[in-house]
Amino acid sequence: MNRTWHRWIPAVAVPAVVVVVAVTGGVAATASADLPERSPQEVLALVGASEVEAFSGTLEQSSDLGLPDVSALSSGSGSSDDSGAAVSSALELATGSHTARIYADGPERLRVQVLDTLAERDAVRNGDDLWFYDSDEQTAVHATLPSRGDGATPGDSPPGTDGAVPTPDEMASRFLESVDPSTDVSLGSEQTVAGRDAYSLVLTPRTDDTLVGSVTIAVDAETGMPLEVQVFARGSAAAAFEVGFSELSLDTPSADLFDFAPPAGTEVTEKDLADRFDGDGDGGAGPGADASDAAGHQGSEPTVTGEGWGSIVETSLGGDLTEITSNPLFSQLATPVEGGSVLQTALVSVLLTDDGRLLAGAVPAELLQQAAAAE
Amino acid sequence: MLLALAAVPVLIAVAIRLTDDGQGGGGGPAFLDRITQNGLFVGVTALVVAIPLFLPLTVGVVAGDSVAGEAGTGTLRYLLVSPVGRIRLLVVKFAAAAVFCLAATLTVSVAGILIGLALFPVGPVALVSGDTVSVGESLLRSLLIALYITLGLLGLAAIGLFISTLTDAPVGAMAATVVVSIVAQVVGQLSQLEWLHPWLFTYHWLDFADLLRQPIEWSSFGANAVLQLAYVAVFGALAYGRFATKDILS
Repeated sequence: MNRTWHRWIPAVAVPAVVVVVAVTGGVAATASADLPERSPQEVLALVGASEVEAFSGTLEQSSDLGLPDVSALSSGSGSSDDSGAAVSSALELATGSHTARIYADGPERLRVQVLDTLAERDAVRNGDDLWFYDSDEQTAVHATLPSRGDGATPGDSPPGTDGAVPTPDEMASRFLESVDPSTDVSLGSEQTVAGRDAYSLVLTPRTDDTLVGSVTIAVDAETGMPLEVQVFARGSAAAAFEVGFSELSLDTPSADLFDFAPPAGTEVTEKDLADRFDGDGDGGAGPGADASDAAGHQGSEPTVTGEGWGSIVETSLGGDLTEITSNPLFSQLATPVEGGSVLQTALVSVLLTDDGRLLAGAVPAELLQQAAAAE
Repeated sequence: MLLALAAVPVLIAVAIRLTDDGQGGGGGPAFLDRITQNGLFVGVTALVVAIPLFLPLTVGVVAGDSVAGEAGTGTLRYLLVSPVGRIRLLVVKFAAAAVFCLAATLTVSVAGILIGLALFPVGPVALVSGDTVSVGESLLRSLLIALYITLGLLGLAAIGLFISTLTDAPVGAMAATVVVSIVAQVVGQLSQLEWLHPWLFTYHWLDFADLLRQPIEWSSFGANAVLQLAYVAVFGALAYGRFATKDILS
C-alpha cells in the first residue's frame, strides 16, 4: 500500500509545480525597477528629449468603459450603411481589448496592424501614401497626402522641428506651469513595461467635476519614450482605459513592411483626404485619442465651455437625428433622460439633446444636462 | 478516420466550385470567399472548419481509446505481462496519439491544398496583413500552421489519455474527452468567465492566423506551446498516478 502511495507523488507534484510557475511568472514580470531618483520635471524633460524614431513593438489595449460588449452587434449592423459601420467599428475599437503591432521608421513611415481573430486591420503610411486595409471585408482605402501633412504621425513620435524649438527642460517646466492649476503632477512607483524600466508620471485632476480619477504614463527611463498610458476612473482601482507596449524593439523595422500593395481581389476605394481622418484608422495607434474627438468630428465647429478636466465640448449636429437614433446600437447604449439621451461611460459622458446638440466631456452626465439647459 | 478528415476540405471545395456564381458571397467561415481566387486557401479554410469539432473528435477517439481500448478488449494485461514498464506503455500511447494529431492536421491541410490545386486557380497568396507571398512560402506557412494545430491538440490528447486510464469502457473515455473539448470551447465563448480563458487549452486554437501575418507573430506560437506543455505535464502526471496504481484486471 505504501508503494501505491508513492506513485501518486508526481501526479500531485507536477500540477503543483505548474501552478507555482504560472503564478510566480506573473509576479516576476511586474517586479519594480531600481532607477535614479528624478523629479516630475526631469521626467517630463526626458519625454521632451526623446528621439526615438524607429521602433517596432506590440501594443496591448484594453478598456473597461462600462459599455456593453458590442462586438457581436457590430458585425450584424450591416456594412451597407457606411456611417453606421464606421461608428460601430470606432466603438468596437474603443471598447473591448485589442492587440496591435506597430512599426515606425521616422514620422513618415508607419504601419499599425490591429490583430483580430483570423483577420487583421492595417494602417500603413509610407511617405505620402496612406493605406487602410481590412482583411475580413477584403477592402482597402487609399489616400495620398498633400505634400506636407502630419495627420498620421503617431502620438509617440517627437514633434517636428518647426521654427524655434524650446529645449526639453523649458518645455517640461512650461507644461508643468500650464497644467498646474488644474492638475497635480507627481511621480508614482517605478515599473517595468515591455521589459524596460520606466518612471511613471501620475496626473491627478484637482477638480471634482470630472470622471477621471488619474492618468498614469509610464516613461522609459532610457529613451524617454512613453510606454504605457492608463486612465483611471474616479474611485476605481482598475484602469478604465489602458494602452501600452507589451513588446518593444528599438531596431529599425524592415523597409518592405511599409511598401504596401493590396492583394488581388481587394476592393480598393480612393478617398479624398478632406473627409478622411475621422479616427477610423488610428484608433489602435493613438493613446491620446479620446472619445470626445470621435464625437465632435461631424458637426459644425464645436464650442468648448469650462476649463481643464471639467471642459465640455458642444457641437450642433443639425440635420436629421433619426438616422442616429434609429441605429440599434444607439438604443442599446444610450439611456433617455430629460431633454435628450445620455451615453454614459466610465470616463466620458455624451449627451444628445432632442434639439440636435451633442455635448461631451469627461464629466458626470448631470453637468452636461446643466450645460445644455444653460443655453 | 483520416479519410473522413480528408473529406472535409474536399466537400468544401466541391460545394464552392458547384455554387460559385462569380461573386464572393458574404458569411461563412473565415477565408471561405477567397477560395475561388486561390485554391491554396482550401487547406486553411478546412482547418478553420475542422478545428472546433472534427479534429477534437478524432483526437478524442484515438486518445480515449488508447488505454481503455486495450482494457476493453482484454489485451491490457497481456501487454503488461511482458517486461514493459507502465510508464513506457503510457509514453508510447501518448506518442501514438501525438503522431495521430500531426497526421490528422496534415491530412486536412494537404487534402485541402490538393483539391484546391485541382479545382481552382493557384497563385501568390495574400496574407491577412494584406501582403502577398509566393506559393512556396505559403506552403511553408501551411506546414507551420499544421504544426501549430498539432501542438494545440497535444493538451487534449493528454487529457484523453488520463481519462482513458480511469475507465475500462473506451466509448466512455472517447465521449468524455470530446465533451471536455466542447465544454472548454463553450466556456471560451462566455465573456463572464474571461479570467479563465487564458488557461483553457482551446484558448490559442484559432490564433494560428498569427502565422499568416507579415511578419509572422511568433508570440502565440510560444504561448500555445507553453500552455500545451503544461497540460501535457499535468495530465501526464495524473495519468501516471492513476495507471501506476491501478489494478489491471482485464
